[in-house]
This record gives sequence, C-alpha cells and structure tokens, in this order.
Amino acid sequence: MSGSYGTFSTKQEEKRKRTVPDRVLIRRVYEYAQANKRNLKIGVTATIIGAFTGLAAPYMHAMAIDRIIEPSLTDSKNLMGFFWWIPLFVAIVLSNYVFQYIQTYQMRVVGENVVAKMRDDMMEKLQVISLRYFSEGETGRIISRPTNDANTVRIFLRVGLTSILVDVSSILGSFAIMFYLDLRLSLLAISVLPVAIVLVWYLGKYSRAIYRKTLITTSGLTAIMQEDLAGIKVTQAYAQEKEREKKFIKRQDENVKATIRAILIGSSYTPFVIGLRLIGTLIILFYGVNAVLGGVITIGILVAFTEYQFSYFMPLVDIVSMYDQYQSAMSAIERMFDVIDTKVEVLDVAPERSVALS
Amino acid sequence: MSIAKPLVDYAKSLKPKKSFTQSFSAFKRLTKYHKKYYWFIVAITILALIRSILFSLEPFYTTLIIDKVLGQNNISLLWGYLLIIVLAGIGYAISNFFLIFVHGVMSQYIVRDIRTEYYRSLQGKSFSFYDSMSVGDLTSRATVDLQMVDMFLRSWLGTVLNAVFFTIIIIVIIYPISPVMTLISMATMPLIFYFTTRLWVDTMPLFRNMQLILGRLTSYIQQNIVGMKTIRIFRREKDAVDGFKEVENIYVNTAISAGKIQSIYMPLGPAILTLGIALVYVYAGYSLTIPGSLLTVGDIFLFARYMMRLTFPLRDLSTTLGTWIAAYAGLERVLEMTDAPRNVEDQPDAKEIKIEEGKLELENVTFGYARDRPVLDNVTFAVQPGEKIAILGATGSGKSSLIYLIPRFYDIQAGSIKIDGTDIRQFKLDSLRRQVGVVLQDVFLFSGTLKENIAFGKPDASMDEIVRAAKAARIHDFIESLPCGYDTPVGERGVTLSGGQKQRITIARALLTNPRILIMDDSLSFVDAKTEQEIQAAIEEATKTRTTLIIAQRFSTIKTAEKILVLENGSVAEFGTHDELIRNNGVYKKVYETQFIQKASPILEETGDT
Repeated sequence: MSGSYGTFSTKQEEKRKRTVPDRVLIRRVYEYAQANKRNLKIGVTATIIGAFTGLAAPYMHAMAIDRIIEPSLTDSKNLMGFFWWIPLFVAIVLSNYVFQYIQTYQMRVVGENVVAKMRDDMMEKLQVISLRYFSEGETGRIISRPTNDANTVRIFLRVGLTSILVDVSSILGSFAIMFYLDLRLSLLAISVLPVAIVLVWYLGKYSRAIYRKTLITTSGLTAIMQEDLAGIKVTQAYAQEKEREKKFIKRQDENVKATIRAILIGSSYTPFVIGLRLIGTLIILFYGVNAVLGGVITIGILVAFTEYQFSYFMPLVDIVSMYDQYQSAMSAIERMFDVIDTKVEVLDVAPERSVALS
Repeated sequence: MSIAKPLVDYAKSLKPKKSFTQSFSAFKRLTKYHKKYYWFIVAITILALIRSILFSLEPFYTTLIIDKVLGQNNISLLWGYLLIIVLAGIGYAISNFFLIFVHGVMSQYIVRDIRTEYYRSLQGKSFSFYDSMSVGDLTSRATVDLQMVDMFLRSWLGTVLNAVFFTIIIIVIIYPISPVMTLISMATMPLIFYFTTRLWVDTMPLFRNMQLILGRLTSYIQQNIVGMKTIRIFRREKDAVDGFKEVENIYVNTAISAGKIQSIYMPLGPAILTLGIALVYVYAGYSLTIPGSLLTVGDIFLFARYMMRLTFPLRDLSTTLGTWIAAYAGLERVLEMTDAPRNVEDQPDAKEIKIEEGKLELENVTFGYARDRPVLDNVTFAVQPGEKIAILGATGSGKSSLIYLIPRFYDIQAGSIKIDGTDIRQFKLDSLRRQVGVVLQDVFLFSGTLKENIAFGKPDASMDEIVRAAKAARIHDFIESLPCGYDTPVGERGVTLSGGQKQRITIARALLTNPRILIMDDSLSFVDAKTEQEIQAAIEEATKTRTTLIIAQRFSTIKTAEKILVLENGSVAEFGTHDELIRNNGVYKKVYETQFIQKASPILEETGDT
C-alpha cells in the first residue's frame, strides 16, 4: 500500500513510464546487498528450506493415517509406528520453526541495511548536486525520493521479497510432492491452474487500473491539504475557514468515492479465485474418491492432496497480488537511483580543504 | 553544533518503554469513531458469522466423504456431499466478498471522519501553532499516517470476529466427537495466546519508535532539501549528512531488534499448533485400538483438518496486530495535533459586532511567543478613525507581532486592545477578522484563477467589485494584458507572477472586503523602481479612507502616514507626526537622516505632516 504514499508526487510522476529494465535495477540493488552477502545467503537458503519443511506437514499427516492409524484398526501393534513418526514430525516442525526464524531475521538485516545505504548515498548526493536541482516546484518530488520511495522499497524488502520467495518455494514444493504422490491426480488438481492464472491476472490488471485512479485522487487530496495549510494565515485573516473546508470536503469525498470503488473491484475478484479453488477441490474429491474405492490411491493420499491444493493455491493468489507492490517498488528503486546517479555539475573542494577568506 | 543534533537527540531519547496501555487507550478512542456506523458493525458481525460457519463446513463434509463414502463404500452419498461443499463454498465466497466490501466502506468513512476532524482542528489553530510546525509534516500526518490507520480499519473487526467465531464453531463441532481430543488440541491455545501477546508487547514500543523516528527523519530531509541553499552557503553539507546517517543507523538497529523479536515469536504459533496435532494423533491412534471405540479415521482427519484451518485466522490475527502497531503510531501522530490547544478561541460571550468608526486603542499590551520573554512590553498608543500609522523598527523590534495582535492571530498576555471602545476579545473571531483587512508579508495565492484569489475574502463578490478592487490595487491593467484575463490560473500549476504583482493582488484581495481597519506588512523589498511606484500608488489608494497600520520600509510609504510609531526592543520609542519626531531628535531622526534622506531627497521637501 505504501506505493500510494505519493505525498508530493505529481500526476506526471505517477504516470511516468519506467525505462530501466528490472534486471538492471535488481542487479544494482544486489550490489548494495554485497555488504550483507552472508546474511543474504543464509536468509535465502533458510527461506527455501523453510518453505519445504512447511510442506512436509501434510505429507506426515498422510503417513500417520495411512501407515499407522488405518492399519492399527486391524492390528494394534501398528501404533508402534508412532515411535518413529512423532520424533520425525516434531523434528520437522521444529526445523521449520528454526528456518523461519533465520529467514525473518536475516532478510530483515539485509533489507534494512540496503535501504539505509541507498538513502545515505542519496542524501550525500543531494548535498553536492547543482542547486538548480532544487528549483521551485521540483523540491516536492525530490523530497519524496529519500522518504516515500525509500519507504516503499523498505516495505517491499521486508514483506514482499520474503513472501515471493516463500510462495514460489511452496508452489514448486507442493507440485513436487503431489507429482510424487500420484501423477494423474496431480494433473487433475492443477488443471484449473491455467484458468486461475489468466483470471487472476486479468482481474488483477483491472483492479490495478482502478487503484491507480485512486492514487490520483489521493494526490489531489494531498495537494489541497498542503495548500490549505500553507495558506492558513490568509484563510484565517479573511475568516474563510468554512469556504476552504467545503472545498476540502469535496475533494475528500471524491477520494473516498474512488477508493470505495477500488475496494469493490478489488474484493470482487476473490470470489472467482475461491470458486476456482472449489472446482479444483471438487475434481480432486470426485476423482480421488473413485480412485480410493478402486484401490488406486490411499485415503491418506487423498487427504494430503486436498491440503496441497490449498497450499499451492493461496501462494499463487498471493504472488499475483504482490505484482503491484513489486512494480511500485521497482519504480521507487528507479527513482532512487536517478538521484544517486545524478551528475555533479559544480564539484568543488571538500570543506576542510577549502580556503577561508576571512 | 551539528545541524542534525536535535534529530539525533530525539532519536536517542526514545526509550523502548512499554506503550501497551497507551496503545489500549488509543484503541478505545478509535472505537469511538465506529459508533456512528453501528449498522456496519452489525452487518460485519453477521457476515463474519456466516463466513465462519461456511468456512467450517468443507472439512466437515470432506470427512463425511471419507467416512461414509469411502469407509462404508456408499458412493451414492458422494453427490450430495459434493453439492453441499459447492454451495458452502459459493456462500463463503459471497459472504467474504460482502464482508471485505462493507468493512472497506466503513474504514473509508471512519478515516474520512478522523481526517475531517483533523483538518477542522488545524483550521482553528493559532499562528503560534503554525510557527512551530512544518506544512509537510502536518500534511503527511493526514495522508501517510492515516493510511496506516486505514490499513488497520480495513479488516480488523472482521479478522477478530472471524478468529473468535471460528474457534467457537470448531470447538462446538469437535467436542462431541471427542471431548478429550478437543481438550488436548485446545491445550496449546493458552501458549499461543501467551506468545502472541509477548510478541505484541515486546515489539510495539520498537515499532512505535521506528515510526516516530521516520516521521522526524522525513521532516529533516524536507528541511535539508528546502534549505539546501543555506546549507551550501554555510558549508554544512557534511554535518547534515553525518547527522542523518547517525539517525538512520538508530532506525536500522531498532528495526533489526524488532525483527529479531518478530522472528522468534511469529512462527511460534503455527509450530505449537502443529505439535498439538501430533498429540491428537497419538491419542487418537491409541483410542482407536480400544475395542468399542466410536472414533473413526474420518474423525481424526477432521481434527487435523480443523486444527490446520485454525492457523489461518491465527495468522490473520497476527497480521492485524502488525497493522495495528503502525496504525497506532499513526493515529497517535494525528490525534496529537487534533488535540493540541487552539490557543486563540471565541470567548463564550463573544458577539457579532460591527465596526463603525475604526478607532483603535492599545493599552499596556504585553506579548511574547514564550511566556517569560516578552516581544512587546507595555505598548500603549491610539489610532483615530481613518488615521494612517506607519510602524518603524529594526528586525526583531516586534513590528510584525504588533500588527498580528489586532486580528487576534495571537492573544496578548496583558493589557487590552480595543476597537471603537470594545475589547477585541468581545468580538467573535470571524466577525473581527472579516472587518480587519490584512495584507501579510508572505504573499500567498491559492491555486485557482486570479478572480477567485481577489475575491477570496468575499467569494460572492460581483465582477464589478473585483475589477474595482484590482484597479485600486493598480493590478487591473496587468491582469487585462494576460490572455485569459481574470480567469488566468495561478498557484502551483498556473502562471508565475513576480513578487510585486503578487503583492498587489493581495492588496486587491484586502480592498475587496472593504475593511474599516487595514493592516499591512509592507516589508517587500528588492523590487524595481516602477513596481515600487505602482505598489506605492496601490497602498495610497487602499489606505485613503480607513484606519491603517502599516509596517513600512520605504520612505515613500512613511511620508504619507499621519503618524509614525517607532518600536525598539518591543517598546514604543517614539510616536507622533514626522515633524514632531524630527524635533524630538531621537531614533527616528537618525534613521531618517541615515537611511531615507539620500534615497528620497527629490521628494523630501514635499513631506511633512499631511
């Protein structure tokens, strides 16, 4: 959401097309992460292993039902199976916990340091670039770079990047396990996937367009707020508070209306996603039940499938909704590098080397 | 001293104190804003209940499929169960959609209310409030900070209700199946609750500090960029960056310690819950082997399924707690301003009073921005109706402060100011300010057309009135020369006007309201001779028939004044006509001789008491 910070950004700024390709930006951000290379390596590794250990739980459930509980109905000796199952299950849960811990912590260290360093560089650059840069009207846009843009990137690195890593690993891991368990059921389970991707993508695109419109009304609201505060002395001197308030309320209502519309459209695509997931569940259940009855698969596998279907569908929706955050983070990164890369026109000697005139 | 010292000190002064109770009272206050929208709350509650029930149906019927269809080999039941799963799913999707939407609308309304209240309170704050606040900071509180509040409001009630309802429903479903297993699985709940609370209590102060540092950091950056020229002139660039880096460092360290706490506690809830499932399995496996056990494989599956499902509302709940931390810091920043005292307010017995003559009397007026440091000390003088007084004084002598006291931009600390014999505090603020015209030193134009700007104090003014005011202010010809004339847009995206043009527009603006008393801060210097002449003519026209107080820089202004008031260190040094003061042989004479005489010699002879 921080993409809508745009406190000072003008309409043009929001509409501006990005020119630098993503991979260039990512590489440059990666360079900033070099100082925390170790943290990054540990963090990414922990994220991927953590996602896999998280996926092991449903598989363990399937094993508990298929290999221990179900056979123990006829032969209670089978319960001894819990002897190996419990320590293994606990170990998996605990390692999942540990990896998540490492991941959260290390990625936080990397994210915070990268943004801080970029911001420091920006501030340093701002002190030396030509004063022309600070001409009236430009200042608002410059200010928003080390503040709003840096914040967008910070939030993206803190939440977005990790979830993308976790989501991708979960999806791939789910697929791997599903295919391992039963090929045909897996193919059926992911049959709704292409439809889901297309649907989520298009609905997402539509809602993003609406969302961008709210950004414009938000900047309109910000603009009038700023103007009214800057001109407050004049307003008070002429006792025109009521008049200004009317204008403000009108702008605000426009913003509220646009936002409500965006919420309506944004929330209307979740039923479709849920519906598709439902179709997937039905296919699994229908085919699965027959397969179990026909002795093709076990109950445990069926149970595991219903779980895995859940564990790849949700991350998928997550990733698609993350796209917007990713885009605004990329634009923010581009704008930040814009400042960092500005050529210094009037480079003069460092203050400590300059000669005092007095 | 480093420029960034106040910022560094501030960041260092933030101690991670327990802000739990503070957050609680902020939350209570936030709930008050919900009151108006109790129908929304009713709707959200009903929708959340429906959603929770429907969400719990799917595992229930999947279990039935396992037990009845698979266990008892009864394929004929399958279609019925699948149908129920479909219907429950559709119902869930629809109720979920409505829940998100209704919740979102409510959040928009509440944020709107908070922002309007904030805006209104800012409109009523006195000049002293604005002296110490930056516009950027105040704006970002209404936008960025409220956005945090919005994020929380979008889903908090639904999430909390969902967690409560869902837990209750699950207990209701699983308890009859196996009370012991229910108790085993629920045994982990207090632990989860404990760790979630710990997470909250431990990280909240850190997040709050981060938010507060970030707020300061933002205004620091703003000041740095806006004041870049000054920084360059005084060669303080290194200072500015070093201080910034230091604070940035404090922020990063705080963020990392918060991350450490989060990384310990956040994954703990699901882990504990999953371990609970292991316990359930062991017990279930054991009881299955007891002859005559009523437990089925489906039952065990159901338990596991429900406990897995419980992780979702739990995760949502901890996300909501996360948004609350940011929302709370944001709300605190907004309400801090909303609650700040107005300083200048209508007295209970204030009335609408018409100024008839425009006689102005100041008696022993004492005023200071800080209580113990008076800027004006015991100032006494009177202005007769229609008289024009020029105020002279060095920077810091209290000139601007003096004229700001008359429309009550600040309130005096002792003495009295009377208009036509009535204390200005008897007037309603609106009534007073509408009748006292003010031309401020900073010439601010609102975005809009020139016409709208001139008619600012009287939005219903006719075109005739507007043109007349513009003519009197000697700006009409210029406006007419523009392609769009009076409809030319100004302000941020409009035409660029020179300082002199802006000043004459502000004079026109003051004249249009036809005030009995006119106060002008004519400190505008650095204008060319022609502009000066035009401004001069405008001022003369403006002040013809009204009581006028004018801070004057130019002799041309002073010479047309009936009397001259010389301020020195907040006291009246001299007050009288030009001739009187020259005879007095005091400060005025010295200033007159050293500053004006050479510049204004050609017209010197014409001066005198008019």
